[in-house]
Amino acid sequence: MKKKILTYLLLSLGFTVMAQEKYTIRGTVKDNENGETLIGASVYLQGTEYGTITNEYGFYSLTAPAGTYTLSITYIGFEGTTQEITLNSDQTLDLELSQNATALDEIVVSADDTEKINLKTPQMGVAQLKTQTIKEIPAVLGEVDVIKSIQMLPGVSNNGEGSTGFHVRGGAADQNLVLLDEAIIYNTSHFFGFFSVFNADAIKDVKLYKGDIPAEFGGRVSSVLDVRQKDGNSKNFALSGGIGIVSSRLTAETPIFNNKGSVLVAGRTSYAHLFMKFIDDLKDDKLAFYDLNLKANYEINQNNRIYLSGYFGRDEFILANLITNNYGNATGNLRWNHIFNDRLFANLSLIYSQYDYRIVLDFIGLDWVADIENYNLKYGLNYYVNDKFKLNFGISSILYDLNPGEVTPSNETSSINYLKLDQKKALESAAYIGAENEVTDKLTVQYGLRLSHFSRLGGQSINQYANDLPVVYNEELGIYEAGEVVGETSYGKNESIKTYAQLEPRLALSYQLNDISSVKAGYTRSAQYLHLLSNTTAVTPLDVWTPSGSFIKPQLSNQYSMGYYRTFNDQKYSLEVETYYKSIDNRIDYIDGSNLIGNNTIETEILNGEARSYGMELLLRKNTGKLTGWLGYTLSKSEQRTLGGRAGGLGINDGNWYNAPYDRTHDISLTATYKFNEKWKLSSNFVFQTGRPVTYPNGQYEYEDLSIASYSNRNADRLPAYHRLDVSAIYTPNRKPDKKWKGEWIFGIYNAYNRRNAASITFGQNWQTGENEATRTAIFGIMPAISYNFKF
Amino acid sequence: MKNYISLIITTLLAVTSCTDVVEVDVPTAETRLVVEASLDWEKGTYGNVQSIKLNTSTPYFDLDSDTAVDGAQVNVTDLDSGDEFLFEGQGNGLYTTSNFIPVLYHQYQLEIIYDDETYLATETLYPVSDIKALTQSTEGGFDDEFLELNLYFDDPEEEENFYLIRYQEEGDPFPDLEDQSDEFTNGNEQHDFYEKDDDEDNNEQPFEPGDTVFVDLYGISEQYYNYIRLLIEQYYGSGDPFGTVPAPIKGNCINQNDPANFAYGYFRVTQVSRGSYTFQ
Repeated sequence: MKKKILTYLLLSLGFTVMAQEKYTIRGTVKDNENGETLIGASVYLQGTEYGTITNEYGFYSLTAPAGTYTLSITYIGFEGTTQEITLNSDQTLDLELSQNATALDEIVVSADDTEKINLKTPQMGVAQLKTQTIKEIPAVLGEVDVIKSIQMLPGVSNNGEGSTGFHVRGGAADQNLVLLDEAIIYNTSHFFGFFSVFNADAIKDVKLYKGDIPAEFGGRVSSVLDVRQKDGNSKNFALSGGIGIVSSRLTAETPIFNNKGSVLVAGRTSYAHLFMKFIDDLKDDKLAFYDLNLKANYEINQNNRIYLSGYFGRDEFILANLITNNYGNATGNLRWNHIFNDRLFANLSLIYSQYDYRIVLDFIGLDWVADIENYNLKYGLNYYVNDKFKLNFGISSILYDLNPGEVTPSNETSSINYLKLDQKKALESAAYIGAENEVTDKLTVQYGLRLSHFSRLGGQSINQYANDLPVVYNEELGIYEAGEVVGETSYGKNESIKTYAQLEPRLALSYQLNDISSVKAGYTRSAQYLHLLSNTTAVTPLDVWTPSGSFIKPQLSNQYSMGYYRTFNDQKYSLEVETYYKSIDNRIDYIDGSNLIGNNTIETEILNGEARSYGMELLLRKNTGKLTGWLGYTLSKSEQRTLGGRAGGLGINDGNWYNAPYDRTHDISLTATYKFNEKWKLSSNFVFQTGRPVTYPNGQYEYEDLSIASYSNRNADRLPAYHRLDVSAIYTPNRKPDKKWKGEWIFGIYNAYNRRNAASITFGQNWQTGENEATRTAIFGIMPAISYNFKF
Repeated sequence: MKNYISLIITTLLAVTSCTDVVEVDVPTAETRLVVEASLDWEKGTYGNVQSIKLNTSTPYFDLDSDTAVDGAQVNVTDLDSGDEFLFEGQGNGLYTTSNFIPVLYHQYQLEIIYDDETYLATETLYPVSDIKALTQSTEGGFDDEFLELNLYFDDPEEEENFYLIRYQEEGDPFPDLEDQSDEFTNGNEQHDFYEKDDDEDNNEQPFEPGDTVFVDLYGISEQYYNYIRLLIEQYYGSGDPFGTVPAPIKGNCINQNDPANFAYGYFRVTQVSRGSYTFQ
């Protein structure tokens, strides 16, 4: 396989050398108002087959035979532009596009190119949303939310309202690689999942790879959410912001160094805590979050540009004298774009990410901290070999430092003893190469290979267990319990405890049936070396990440997908149908009654399981006209199974397959925006989902004077179906053309028909009657919201 | 600890959420034998009078089944001394003896013959510290304005210890159970508190002067701790998305004829320190 690919690559390269009469034009495409580079703009030579799209840095490179052409650049939401070029030598041409002359943040009457389907590119299972689209989707309390928006797309779901993270194609929340300007974000939520950490004002582009994951990404088995921050206005000073019910935002952008660069600083903060101070009962409590986005870039010369980006977010939750809890992500990234020549673009990144939390429980005198930190060095190149062949290759290395927990007494009367769990270290490295190759006019192939290597580093001791079994089945009691510790191996600082290596092939094909339809197929294999330990139904910000090692193996996924794409009515409508089958090996599962908190030997609480999911996704979009939007439907199944294996016994849930907590049979979402006129726009969405799998009691018995519920098969029951309608109206007042100030009001209603969707149903005894009863908790009833956005 | 995380999130959710009682169809499993064999030796007594309760399980929302199991043969053997104690049926699901001899660290075996099937369980009797003090306060606990009862006792340093604490206010229909281990607090003075909330929904009211609370502090085995911890966690947090996924709770009464037909409940042998406190 590998040999074949190499041979093929070499042949293709040879082809370039022979094609003497071709020349290359390259450059960067920018927004002429603010100098933001445009990601995914189409650049093509009119009347020919030659075309490309800009990369993450707005760079394009196009090679064609010598001649005179009309170069055309389009990016929807922008006025397209054309330029006559004579291609008789390699040349550089930077281009700027103007936004469509409409209101504050261009009103996208027709969808973005990047949201429109691309029939030709083999990339499938990718969903892209433009910030503007995200901003138009009605949101809880008007708080624009990137994560909640992508959940409106087929194949992406949540784990109930107010839960952290998202699930892609039946994968777990920890199987998503979430990148903000390439830095890993370990926890995407504020307020324990009510809102997400991304401030839409600071974000340029959001791309979710749910199917074929390009070879440059790795380390998670389900998906990649690639979020890119804005670069900042390099032409004028600009101020924008908004005031909402939950939070307020302010973004400042300005050119620096004579318009050779720009800086963006964006802040967002909730302010409920400011009002809480005036309420007697709540004055010592606090519930707050804030985040800060920073981006700066400087163009050293035409071939070199540096970027600095950073994010810092924090949540604080205080219940007076009881609980103090705070958590947050911090990231930083220094990048250097270098253009070697017309066809070779390179980027070097030095990235830092960190996530930590602290919880103080004063009533038991406990102070608990945990964190994860990583340093990542990444070097990636785009090589535009010729008009039919493009190569991406590079290397990456991540050093992890994990502190799973440190406990100290929080006060003098505390009965808690100091305890520090073993610090863990690991190094994850990868080399990748990926190619996009137009084999014939109709057939395009994208293939790649990623070689990943993981080394769990020493500086700690690892227990040895009898028969090498950290978990054993107790035949007599019919339960899993910790194995017997027979010794300990101590590893030096630079010693490797365990290493893993994995070859991850990626393949995608696209065959264009005709001008309006195509079929695609793909295969992705990926490995995941970090695991989020969580034995609760929904993950919480207080869950701990753990690296693979002697007992925990890396997760491995194989995903096969196929799709059919077509456009109707001159691209007014588009239809995408995709099916997939995904299997994941080494998905850890928790034995009944597992206790993960403060546990230094997690291996005694887990068994090695597997997961599989399959489904069909349908996405029908209307791209142009007064009414735009989409209908998404997903039919899917997601299950897991954990056999006893060497530990003995049948396994968890008697070794039977059971529904993953995020399994949803049906998931329908409808999003529509209607533009009445320049002033008013109406937006709404409707969601319907099969209820979350849960385990209901199947009997009761009396013990210690309490009525105890008995349970049987895991996740065999379901909550009632979830459905909800949200609407919002966007009002843009008239304004004088000479005024710089632009404002916009958003009025929204979440859960318009006030459905009491069960977030959970709990079972217990009524204190008065002693009878058992089921209690439903519904999180959001009908919620009105208002917010005001401005730009200056 | 896990309960606290759930508590934090639940508190946060309470800001916007609302709850109501709903009707739910739940599955019905076959009926099983329930063994509540708790031989608790109160410190300072002979511990000779003991009883064992046998019941059957019922459908979850069932209200009126008579669940008492009569006609079973019940006896306990001290495996270290060989002494055997017969428990006599009282006709109401209770089986009693007045000859029991508790000895610290002795291993006991329970044998039940019911419906032609034999159930066996073994357990060791562990000691417990004395209740050192019971005090009241308002500034501790979850709410600064409500009274809470504080329990103090010393944890021995040499060994791992596991505790079950049972609080019950005079006149209350149910007790409040808490499990505790010395995992984070080995060798220190242990503190626990019991505070009642002001909750109209279930008629719970904060403590007031004059209220009396009974406190039982049990020294338990690790195996029983694992059992009761799971039971308590599920009792108070079943279905909570931030609680663990509910799972079958398996006790130690093993059916020798058909292991699949296991019994609910547990055979425990403990030492218990008892106390009571009346709020001033």
